[in-house]
Amino acid sequence: MNPRSARRVWFATLVGALVWLAAIFLAPWLAGRGASGPARFVYAVFAPLCHQIPGRCFVLNGHPLAVCGRCLGIYAGFAAGIILYPLVRGFRRMSLPPARMFILLTLPMALDAAGGILGVWKSPIGLRFATGFAWGTVLPFYFVTGAVDFFRMRKERRGPRTLEIAIPKN
Amino acid sequence: MNPQRPEYLRPALVAGAVAGLLSGLPFIGAGNCVCCLWIVGGAAMAAKLLAAATPGLLTAGDGAIVGAMTGIVAAVVDAIVSIPLRSFNLGLARRLIDKAAELGGEMPSGVGGILNSSSGVLTPGWFLLGLFVSAAVFALVGALGGIIGVSLFGKKSLPPAPAAPPPPPPGPSDAT
Repeated sequence: MNPRSARRVWFATLVGALVWLAAIFLAPWLAGRGASGPARFVYAVFAPLCHQIPGRCFVLNGHPLAVCGRCLGIYAGFAAGIILYPLVRGFRRMSLPPARMFILLTLPMALDAAGGILGVWKSPIGLRFATGFAWGTVLPFYFVTGAVDFFRMRKERRGPRTLEIAIPKN
Repeated sequence: MNPQRPEYLRPALVAGAVAGLLSGLPFIGAGNCVCCLWIVGGAAMAAKLLAAATPGLLTAGDGAIVGAMTGIVAAVVDAIVSIPLRSFNLGLARRLIDKAAELGGEMPSGVGGILNSSSGVLTPGWFLLGLFVSAAVFALVGALGGIIGVSLFGKKSLPPAPAAPPPPPPGPSDAT
């Protein structure tokens, strides 16, 4: 694996994660400034991904964030994971995390969500954020590895580029 | 790495149709509110189907491709299923918001207005914009689900190749 290619994918993912996170805060900020049209658009972008129930969202300027506390935790965890990626994994070794790591970090959030859906308990928004955050930290280790491998495959399948030169007939 | 390109389309169509249908249905579609459950799960299922249909080992890139395709198919199916159910889903969302406001006290301003403003007729422009945004987001989330699916369900190693037939016994020498 070419470390330079891995570094590029990592950097693009980092920028994307930060923009995504900023957009979550942008919606209530716009709504607070009276820009209801743009705010509505940003809320609508996140609507397929989150229930956006106001009671389960953190609030900014009197308006709910564009996603709930758990989803915010996932995205913040993703951003934290991508920042830590070079320190934990580096760019020379590209491999997926072990399955037991994924299960271990998924379990708290799955239990919390299942308990809430079944009505066993009603966890506070801080706990939802924390379990989502834990799950989010492992995701970049899948995403970056997969994206780097995708670009490698694409390059290999395309094959070496050949330069065709038209020779004029005399 | 696979010497042949795996057949991505079939698993993506099957899993994407299931994920899109589940996402578009009332009540059941709310599963996507738990970290895009249907999209991530559908993409992981597509990776499992792909692993079962591919003789070679799958890479993370294969998972990303089949997962992204599953997400796009799911977005299209979700949009189609949601058209006839739109008014029902909006009513349901409004009731949920009201209920949440009752339980949680004061409701932050803006949300009711957003919901009311979306109760109008769905124009083709808004439909296409929504479909485009959903497809892009579901493709990214699906790619992630596909990669996770490959790591959980992909073959870890290939079965040993059958042993080569033994060489024929040496015949009588011609050099006399």
